[in-house]
Amino acid sequence: MSSPPRASGYFRTDYADDYALLATRGARIWVALLVLALLAFPLIASPFQLDIACQVFLAGVGSLSLMLLTGYAGQISLGHAGLIAAGAFTVGILFRETNASFWITLPMAALVGALLGVIFGLPSLRLRGLYLAVSTLALHFVVIYIGGEYETRRGFSTGIMIDPPRVGSLEITDGRAWYFILLVAAASTLLICLNLLRTRSGRAWRAIRAHETVAETLGIGIAAYKLLAFVISSSITAVAGALFAYYRGFVSVEAFSLFLTIQYVAMVIVGGMGSLLGALLGAAFVTIFPYVIEGALLALPGAQGFASLLFAVNYAAFGVVMIFFLLLEPLGLVGMWHRIQNYFRLWPYKHRPAAGAHQ
Amino acid sequence: MSELGGQDADASPLTSDLWHLSSESVQLVVNIIVLAAIYALLACGYVLIYRVSRVMNMAHGELSMLGAYLLFATATLLAHHPIAALIVAVLMSIAVGVLVYVVLMRRMTGEMVLAAILTTIAIGILLRGVIVLVWSASEQHPLQALGFTNPSLPVFGGARISTCAALIVVMTALVYGSLFAFLRFGRWGVRMRAAGQNPLLAAQRGINLHAIYALAWSLSTLTGSIAGMLIALDSGLDQSMVVIGLKAFAPALVGGLDSLLGALCGALIVGSSEVLAIHYVDPLLSDVVPFVVLIAMLTVRPWGLFGTREELDRV
Amino acid sequence: MTLLEVQKLEVVYHRSISAVQGISLAIQPAQIVALLGTNGAGKTTTLRAISGFLGLDDARVSEGAILFKGEHIENELPHRNTARGIVLVPERDKVFPNLTVSENLIAPVPHGVGAGEQRRRETLVYRFFPQLRDLRHRIGGLLSGGERQMLALAGAIMCAPELLLVDELSLGLAPVVVSALLQRLREIRRELGLTILMVEQSAPVALEIADYAYVMENGRIVLDGTAERLRSHPDIQEFYLGRESGERRSYREVKQYRRRRRWYG
Repeated sequence: MSSPPRASGYFRTDYADDYALLATRGARIWVALLVLALLAFPLIASPFQLDIACQVFLAGVGSLSLMLLTGYAGQISLGHAGLIAAGAFTVGILFRETNASFWITLPMAALVGALLGVIFGLPSLRLRGLYLAVSTLALHFVVIYIGGEYETRRGFSTGIMIDPPRVGSLEITDGRAWYFILLVAAASTLLICLNLLRTRSGRAWRAIRAHETVAETLGIGIAAYKLLAFVISSSITAVAGALFAYYRGFVSVEAFSLFLTIQYVAMVIVGGMGSLLGALLGAAFVTIFPYVIEGALLALPGAQGFASLLFAVNYAAFGVVMIFFLLLEPLGLVGMWHRIQNYFRLWPYKHRPAAGAHQ
Repeated sequence: MSELGGQDADASPLTSDLWHLSSESVQLVVNIIVLAAIYALLACGYVLIYRVSRVMNMAHGELSMLGAYLLFATATLLAHHPIAALIVAVLMSIAVGVLVYVVLMRRMTGEMVLAAILTTIAIGILLRGVIVLVWSASEQHPLQALGFTNPSLPVFGGARISTCAALIVVMTALVYGSLFAFLRFGRWGVRMRAAGQNPLLAAQRGINLHAIYALAWSLSTLTGSIAGMLIALDSGLDQSMVVIGLKAFAPALVGGLDSLLGALCGALIVGSSEVLAIHYVDPLLSDVVPFVVLIAMLTVRPWGLFGTREELDRV
Repeated sequence: MTLLEVQKLEVVYHRSISAVQGISLAIQPAQIVALLGTNGAGKTTTLRAISGFLGLDDARVSEGAILFKGEHIENELPHRNTARGIVLVPERDKVFPNLTVSENLIAPVPHGVGAGEQRRRETLVYRFFPQLRDLRHRIGGLLSGGERQMLALAGAIMCAPELLLVDELSLGLAPVVVSALLQRLREIRRELGLTILMVEQSAPVALEIADYAYVMENGRIVLDGTAERLRSHPDIQEFYLGRESGERRSYREVKQYRRRRRWYG
């Protein structure tokens, strides 16, 4: 992951500069503008658009955690939907059985996620790559089965209804309130991930992803850090699931299919591996994509007939887009963005000169 | 998926005095054999591609389903020529396999295998969407379209098996027999394994990688489609076939992803576990049992029963 | 007639890294030619360019030509060049690690011969490398370094090559093993009439067996000549054969040295 070339005149003079997240004035201005736009958005957006934004934020939390696990620590996980389901079901079960408030259910979801993270992470101590992916996939099915069993045994075959969360006497049902809550959730996840990656754990994960054997010889405790990656990532994912449960007010095992996992993997791929920005871009892309397809279908003359098979069109279009990115742009949207950036930065040259090429 | 083979309640409640088995147990054995045959037929598709390119074809279930839908299409189009319909469908599925390789997977040669696996997942999703768009999501019955019937045949001991299920078992035996003959006793079996282990060296030793990959893909789609077609003939055709395809990778892994013999054994193990669990514990377990067996095998012996014990980080 | 001719070859990785920058060489039939140079000189890339890239690392021949018996072979797939009779013994990953020794010898596809001829070749190969016959059922990955190199050479011979490309024959092997291998290589060349192009970091090894040699540096050829001439060349003696001339030179100077006066003299 190379950092972009900075304009001349940029240099750091003390430690605070060194670990500031926003290093240049330009970066600070852009971020300030972004924050303003995000805060202003609910004032002008329709409820439908607010809903999409909320979904994007929710997806962002999940995709950031997956990016942490797969894009940075290099542990391939196909069990994401299972973890989201676990968080959602924790909320559902606690609410139904004990009528607990969200002050209890959210931390419990995080805890359940962490525990599951240990279980999902144990195979990673022995397996890598394809076999690890397969083991997480198998565990996903087990989690889904358990959720399904709960639903049938307790008679919730159509799903568990959940009341909106209450703060004092206030029920949070307003779209705008949810927008801010989820915005805060996504932002805090982003900050957590950014900071984690700057610490020793982050460096350890990058080392493990790059070359595990070498990392071990450098004294990095592979097993501990792998499990840590799984635990943290799963915990965050479960919280995302819990938030999802509250947002929708409804939990059902059908919502957590393999396709959901693949959507999150697509977010990571489409966004660009090894980049938090990529995770967010990917989350936005994959969340908004079905709406774009639906809009395109309704706009195209003669395509109305397909509207009834919207999910099939979604699948097909989704497959095509994934294939496009995998074949042609494996570095994802972030890769595209870097390429555009480099094109303008290096123009009229085409490539950076290779180091020490000619003598 | 409905239970294959049926139990005839009016049959005499016996047996084969020789084995002192109740007809219920014999029926269980029959069911196990049928399910194992299905898993084996589907699993060998995974093995073929993995052996040759280290790629796990996650679209295998969807490709098999496509084969079944192609049979339905040819059956409805060639309504009075069922044999021709079958042959055309089989040829089309081989073509699909080659096409998928040539158009898509070929570009992934030399890329990270993870990317290749994700590409197969994407292909699977694409196929699912396209199939529903072309044929709709409702259940189809290629059996009726072909004009055949599927009578239930008696097997020894009071158990019964449907004709198509019996066909599945026969086809599985045939397919495995031919594959064994081709791979074990032929140089090309060794060459396929060589290509999987070290593609660059294989190319440098004169092995035409693209030809071998295309061959593996076409064989894989062929066996998968045969499985898909027979399952569809036996119990109807709809999107649920994808689930069977997914479950079938558990036996492939349990036996060892690059071993055909392993796929056969894995299919028997998973098949028997599933049938017994459904019968004695809880019918809902059917979708979970293969994965539990898989997890157990991964914990104990990640490379499966007969798989090559390679460095498992080489994705 | 020149068996292999390379004309102003340029090879580029990832569309931006120029590994070989315009080299030309010519190899006559039944010659043993050595390609010398330090790390990063572009020797392995040259061999792989002749044998054929498989698209890994986005490598391709961007300029120049490679002619084998008058036919252009740049940017061909490896198996096609093998069918023409150009076989490479790579530096790393030179055997199939999970196949047995005998399976390693079955796997290669010889060009233009039938099964009977293939069996005859197997016997031939076992005659050249008798140790391999005893190791027939050993898994390739479990062989020692010397055994592995033998197996790699044997596998290459199974392809019935006319031009054998050998990359770093001596790397990681004890001198005794290397001499034995070189001896075997001489016998093979004599019996099969092979032409050999070998890349070597160890100049003594190379100059012992080669008829002709090229010296590469930073992607260019800086010197070539018969083995005798090179052995007595003062710069080769100093920088490659380790005979001191008395002056102390830094490693950097050895690697990037301005030999304008002497090389091109």
